[in-house]
Amino acid sequence: MIRIKNLIKDYPMGRETFRALHGVSFHIAQGRLAAIIGQSGSGKTTLLNILGGLDTPTAGEYWLDGKLVSQFDQVDWSHERNHTIGFVFQSFNLVPALSARDNVAMPLIYRRAPLKTRRRLAEEALRQVGLGDRLHHRPTQLSGGQQQRVAIARALVGNPPLILADEPTGNLDSHTGEEIIELLRHLNRQGHTVVIVTHSPEVASQCQEIFRMQDGRLVASEATG
Amino acid sequence: MSWSDALRVAWSGMWGSKLRSLLTMLGVIIGVAAVIVLVAIGNGASQAVSSRIETLGSNLLFVTPGGGTTFTASQVAAIQHELPMTALVVPELNSGGKVSSGTTVGPAALTGTTPQYPALGGISIAYGSFLTAQNLTALQHVAVLGANQALTLFNGSNPVGEHITILGQTFRVIGVLNPVGQGPGASQDNTIFIPLPVAEFLVGSDSLSNIVVKTSSPTAASLADSLLTNLYTNQYGANAVTVASEDQVLSALSATHATFTDLLAGTAAISLLVGGIGIMNIMLVSVTERTREIGIRRALGATREDIVLQFLLESMTISLTGGLIGIALGFGLMRLSPLILKSPAVFSPDSVVLAFVFSTAVGLGFGLYPAIKASRLDPIDALRYSG
Ligand SMILES: Nc1ncnc2c1ncn2[C@@H]1O[C@H](COP(=O)(O)OP(=O)(O)OP(=O)(O)O)[C@@H](O)[C@H]1O
Ligand SMILES: [Mg+2]
Repeated sequence: MIRIKNLIKDYPMGRETFRALHGVSFHIAQGRLAAIIGQSGSGKTTLLNILGGLDTPTAGEYWLDGKLVSQFDQVDWSHERNHTIGFVFQSFNLVPALSARDNVAMPLIYRRAPLKTRRRLAEEALRQVGLGDRLHHRPTQLSGGQQQRVAIARALVGNPPLILADEPTGNLDSHTGEEIIELLRHLNRQGHTVVIVTHSPEVASQCQEIFRMQDGRLVASEATG
Repeated sequence: MSWSDALRVAWSGMWGSKLRSLLTMLGVIIGVAAVIVLVAIGNGASQAVSSRIETLGSNLLFVTPGGGTTFTASQVAAIQHELPMTALVVPELNSGGKVSSGTTVGPAALTGTTPQYPALGGISIAYGSFLTAQNLTALQHVAVLGANQALTLFNGSNPVGEHITILGQTFRVIGVLNPVGQGPGASQDNTIFIPLPVAEFLVGSDSLSNIVVKTSSPTAASLADSLLTNLYTNQYGANAVTVASEDQVLSALSATHATFTDLLAGTAAISLLVGGIGIMNIMLVSVTERTREIGIRRALGATREDIVLQFLLESMTISLTGGLIGIALGFGLMRLSPLILKSPAVFSPDSVVLAFVFSTAVGLGFGLYPAIKASRLDPIDALRYSG
């Protein structure tokens, strides 16, 4: 599903550049549940943003779903994000003015799906995350855990093969966090490849693959199961 | 993103902050309404002029002394002598003064003239009669009232036989004119006509304001024009006396009106422009406020073009909605305008098209920069933005 080779990311810092990734290579097979761990500032978010096409690598190659996406332009990437990737963010990133259903349906707008189809699929996705009775709530009328469920429903509504989650439990208490991880594991069992960035060893231990980052380098990777 | 979805997003963006959208629209609303009303008013004025040209033809000549020359009543005979074609020659001595009916006092325009005056056309008698030859020879203090004068002095009742005081002298009312209404002849509604010799005494001067010549046809008028111009050029030198046909006078007036209309339309266009700047301002604020939303949309698959489309449609929705409200408001005001203006506003379909095109262009032109700015945001920065 994901294959990266010698990924380098430089950030310009005034006249200097700061190298956030020093040539990272790994492979995640289709259908796997992977965790990226490491200390703060080790480059996890930078890596995940590149995997999601929100950021472009300075050098290196990236194959996603068999395509060499490191060559993609913004239009190709927009299409790829829309069809292949579902995002879950630490800070939920829902649009405050829209209802839960309209938030969930948003990726389908950019697929030109008809309104009725979008509503039906969004309602289904919300039911799947246990929020079938909160269709018309605004994000501000939902708890943190519920907001993250809405975000997960939004990530799965277009049925993308890959789900990327950057510290999805970072803003939640441990109990609610567990529920969210359980949801992501459930999606993984349904066949989605899931990559989770996390600080929690507990979360990492539930994953089949663990990648440890340190100072912009991949220092360890282990696979179980 | 499909067009209908982009429209839906744009509409809900506008609806989401109703008051702000309305305030933003206000500039466009006022601009469009102003274009429609002002163009209609300008049109009304120039149409009144041109319809008068059509009804009267161009058989009239106005001979006006100037540059040190003076005309007296004897000049009337001189002109008549000069012109071979059958022509009506009518002197006018214009002045003004206070008039009173005993109960009401007001200002009046005074015209001293001869019995031939109504034959020039444009006026007709409602009650009584116009000045007679005998009124003139006997220096009788009699007056014929324009419609408005009759109305203000006598409150609409038939004043024939009543007495009025003009500049301290008593006159008997012998006739009242029908209203002339709008157009350049409207001044006649406020005029009081008295015998020319009486006017000379009253004003204390026998110097005429002008002499009006009416010929049988436009051809005869242009012939008379050149004859009189020659005569006066020989007699007093060039340009001492102006000889102008009625259509020259009216087209000069018409040109003034056209300039006036352009000026009004220009003023209105400027207010539309100001409205556009208001839209740009609000759209820039909106882009900043919704930076995070833009990041989210990009992450979920929106292309830069989708973002441009969304914000451009939003600014166009605002300006077009404002334009439609402005058109409706303009129509409403136009209907009210006769109550205030006394000259009818003549609606011009062009102005609606103009207003519509202009407000679309304003939305497009002033929405483009904010929309492009929104689309250029880096998705990661946008997602990280906390506003
Ligand atoms: N836009 C940027 N410009 C310059 N440096 C950056 C930028 N983004 C990240 N960095 C740097 O790159 C390094 C990696 O950052 P990154 O956000 O990937 O860390 P992280 O592993 O996700 O940390 P955390 O666990 O705290 O989220 C950090 O040292 C950070 O300062
Ligand atoms: Mg991070």
